[in-house]
Amino acid sequence: MRIVVCVKQVPDVAEIRIDEVTHTLVRAGVPSILNPFDEFAVEEALRIREKHGGTITAVSMGPLQAKEALFKCLAMGVDRAVLLTDVFFAGADTWATAKTLAMAIQKLGYDLIICGMKAVDGETSQVGPEIAELLGMPHISYVKRVEVEMESKSITAERMTEQGYQLIRATMPCLLTATKALNVPRIPTLLHQMAAKKKNVEIMKAVDIGAQREEVGLPGSRTQVTKVYTPQYRTGGGTILTSENLPNAVATLKELLKKERIV
Amino acid sequence: MVDENSTGIWVIGEEKEGKLAPVTLELLTIGRQLADSLRQELVVVIIGHQLEHMSRLLVDYGPDKILLVAGEETRYFIPETYSEVLSALVEQRKPFAILFPATYDGRDVAARLAAKLGVGLAADCTDLKIDEAGRFVQVRPAFGGNLMAVIHQPTARPQLATLRPRMVKPNKSGRKVSPSVEYIKPRISAKPFTKSLLRTVREVAEESGNLDEAEVVIGVGRGIGSSENMRIVNHLATLLKAAIGGSRGVVDAGWLPHTQQIGLTGRVISPKMYLALGISGAVQHLVGVRTAKEIIAINKDPEAPIFKVATFGIVADMFSVIPLLAKELEPPAPQTT
Repeated sequence: MRIVVCVKQVPDVAEIRIDEVTHTLVRAGVPSILNPFDEFAVEEALRIREKHGGTITAVSMGPLQAKEALFKCLAMGVDRAVLLTDVFFAGADTWATAKTLAMAIQKLGYDLIICGMKAVDGETSQVGPEIAELLGMPHISYVKRVEVEMESKSITAERMTEQGYQLIRATMPCLLTATKALNVPRIPTLLHQMAAKKKNVEIMKAVDIGAQREEVGLPGSRTQVTKVYTPQYRTGGGTILTSENLPNAVATLKELLKKERIV
Repeated sequence: MVDENSTGIWVIGEEKEGKLAPVTLELLTIGRQLADSLRQELVVVIIGHQLEHMSRLLVDYGPDKILLVAGEETRYFIPETYSEVLSALVEQRKPFAILFPATYDGRDVAARLAAKLGVGLAADCTDLKIDEAGRFVQVRPAFGGNLMAVIHQPTARPQLATLRPRMVKPNKSGRKVSPSVEYIKPRISAKPFTKSLLRTVREVAEESGNLDEAEVVIGVGRGIGSSENMRIVNHLATLLKAAIGGSRGVVDAGWLPHTQQIGLTGRVISPKMYLALGISGAVQHLVGVRTAKEIIAINKDPEAPIFKVATFGIVADMFSVIPLLAKELEPPAPQTT
């Protein structure tokens, strides 16, 4: 059983602040982390390997510093870590990212691919299903429980929906995208973290996966970001009442509900 | 690569168990605006099983054409087959842009179609428009809503986008022209794999609503204390016709199903009103409710960050506020003589 987990290094979104004067994103001092949803993906891969055997390869596309995210995967227990890093890959949108990862995964070999349901920076949820389509395999997204059946080479998974879940069966090779409901990821011990740093993160470049310049990175991207700006959200300033005269406060709330035509 | 002859705004509707998801009408409303700006036709596509009753639900919202793809092969939502059906239609008719709902199903089928066609896809947009040069512009948040990106797709057609629910109010077009309706039989090729839907399970009661669709959402924090205490919240939700969501802590404690988690590792919602009960307002939670029109906060801690984003708040224990509010909202008891 060859399991590939796709991971991404992302800024810790909860630590991002907006400069109140310039209204720009303050990224300085914001730590880079392994995308939280990818931790669920790695953890599930480890549990599947514990049950059914096999090897796990974590693969990421990003700058050289994304090695840190792969060290975390190694510390958690994956067998092999591959970083796709090349100036050719820079500026990739979801399509170019999926294309690059699919080409690499083809080289690495696979029976099962697991991704996080989304990256918390780009927040598209698109790369996983796009990889599956490019590799001609089924995918089950937003997975909250997985069963692997080795004899029939199939996956049965619960896929989260807006109000519950669907039970879906698909043959392998197959791609899954992981939600937070899937598991509680292990926290690597200091010893494991130190041991991971001594392991090798393999580097693959465009030439190693047979990618032409025009099909990956910015030239291969179908979408172009022409402008970014920080949105203005409300910053409070609403009436805040105390509990001193609670019936009065509740009556005011009821008036508000009436004004908004909610009741 | 750009086919200059590609024309038409397509909306991919969402149908479940014979019902049309409200987001379909929102997509038609915004799709009508795009089509009018470009003087192109607006086409709505519904894929499913028995769709005869669909046209009359769609006709008031301004489509020029209704395509109903109905057959046994598309009875259940399988993104692999739905994207194949759409791919065949796109190759044949060459639309300019295709809009999908940013729902679990919408994102799945849009991504597979984009990869199949080798075209671009702007995900989870909050606004779609046509600029002065006649280009299709997509606006979408990233980094937990800290940043908005303006996106163009200059090199490939059709241009794909998914739109979040509740970004526009569904608007009847008032057009007098009745749309043409076309029935299409799905054709699915043999696949080297199999995938099947075994069962659909509902974990949230129908009356407690869909977080994406509800006008009012009640958010519950860990302060609720136990799953038994959810009962009083359920009662309030019934009175307000509200859906119930919660913080990560409440979901991790098992007091609400995972589907109802709001925030960074849960869902992003845009209700008319978000009523936060005992929610402290950590950043991880707030990124999920930033596009709510009103935020009402009830929390006993006056320092809780939720008050910084609230349009109205009461510093009080939610257990003393909820019964009082419920009493105010209850219909008067019938007179006994």
